[in-house]
Amino acid sequence: MPSRYLLAVAAPSSLFPALSFDSHGQLSNQTLFPRGSGQGFVRASRNLKVYRLKANFWDTIRSGFLKNNTTQIVDPPPTLEEGEEAQKLPEEFVLIERTLPDGATEEILFSSGGDVDVYDLQSLCDKVGWPRRPLSKLAAALKNSYMVATLHAIQKSPGSSDGNEQKKLIGMARATSDHAFNATIWDVLVDPSYQGQGLGKALVENLIRALLQRDIGNISLFADSKVVEFYQNLGFEADPEGIKGMFWYPKY
Amino acid sequence: MLFRATISRTPFSAATLRLGPTAALHPRSLAVSASAAPAAATSFSISDAGLESRGFILHRTVCGLNLDQLNTIFVAVGFPKRDPDKIRIALENTDSLIWIQYEKTQKPVAFARATGDGVFNAIIWDVVVDPSFQGIGLGKAVMERLIDDLVERGITNVALYSEPRVLGFYRPLGFVADPDGIRGMVYSRKQKKK
Repeated sequence: MPSRYLLAVAAPSSLFPALSFDSHGQLSNQTLFPRGSGQGFVRASRNLKVYRLKANFWDTIRSGFLKNNTTQIVDPPPTLEEGEEAQKLPEEFVLIERTLPDGATEEILFSSGGDVDVYDLQSLCDKVGWPRRPLSKLAAALKNSYMVATLHAIQKSPGSSDGNEQKKLIGMARATSDHAFNATIWDVLVDPSYQGQGLGKALVENLIRALLQRDIGNISLFADSKVVEFYQNLGFEADPEGIKGMFWYPKY
Repeated sequence: MLFRATISRTPFSAATLRLGPTAALHPRSLAVSASAAPAAATSFSISDAGLESRGFILHRTVCGLNLDQLNTIFVAVGFPKRDPDKIRIALENTDSLIWIQYEKTQKPVAFARATGDGVFNAIIWDVVVDPSFQGIGLGKAVMERLIDDLVERGITNVALYSEPRVLGFYRPLGFVADPDGIRGMVYSRKQKKK
């Protein structure tokens, strides 16, 4: 029986305020995340390095799988063989590349650059069933997070040029931090139609790698009882040395 | 009881404060004998004025905080000694912090800080009280004010990681361990299963 991949919820929805109160800050969504023309998201001005994973070795393996499109391969992030940058995690790279039944290609892209359209995020949160949070607060939370990791699915119709790309947000995880000692992971989510493929695992794994690369020694999170095992498999220990997570007047 | 006799404007010496398990300096007695300050917006166990009358100065910013002295307290309570430069960076990227200074020595004696995303979640870290000043309500004083500050900002999800021996310190402050089965987890490089 295939192991059903559970929705990873680092911060339980039951602890989010159920009421949508007026934002304390006067942030305007429009200012922070203006909608691009029809594209659905706006690229932040960051230096993006895209590394393609198509080494010949993987091509050979993949060609054997193309007939059966339900088989997905999740590659570990590239370790560049030569050069100073060996082992250094790029900000953005392709996790999976595959061909869909209709001939279109789909790439799953990981990025730690934090390029998130807050409307797309809210829509993703709706899909996983989380209670609504004010957009301005979502935007502020993202802005105040030390690192925001995303998964995007990029679909290209068969035989088309780059202009016909469809980029969709399908996963996100973010971490807050004091930039020196501790980081805490919150809001881990994957689009239900993309679950069960190891993407949540890849998302969190790469977020961790990016954090470790920045020398953050202590990475923590709070896990719903249903996903404790998921995080254990990723290297997290519950109640290490008896240390307990505690919440102030939690709303159950 | 013992404490009543020593309440005065002059701060008590360290000797009075060195508490053994039999000393009965219950934080409540501090509150009862605190000078009647005008009603504050939030009622803390010890009021700001109460602290001040005992020679403790409250601070809500890093201004004036000697990081080496803070590091000394960290080491004294069993934290690993940390690079002061890293501590500085951590404090610069901290949402909220409270510390108490002992007027007589000008040194910090209690500290707590919180990090987070500023809107939904906050985690409280590094709650420390100089061992010579423990048991008189200073830890509670910083915690109550830190929580109050976070709540004032609208942050409703306030969490922390507690060592087993101090669960009893956090519970009366309103903290619940593993609510609804939620577990605190920490990443450990040697833990990973493939």
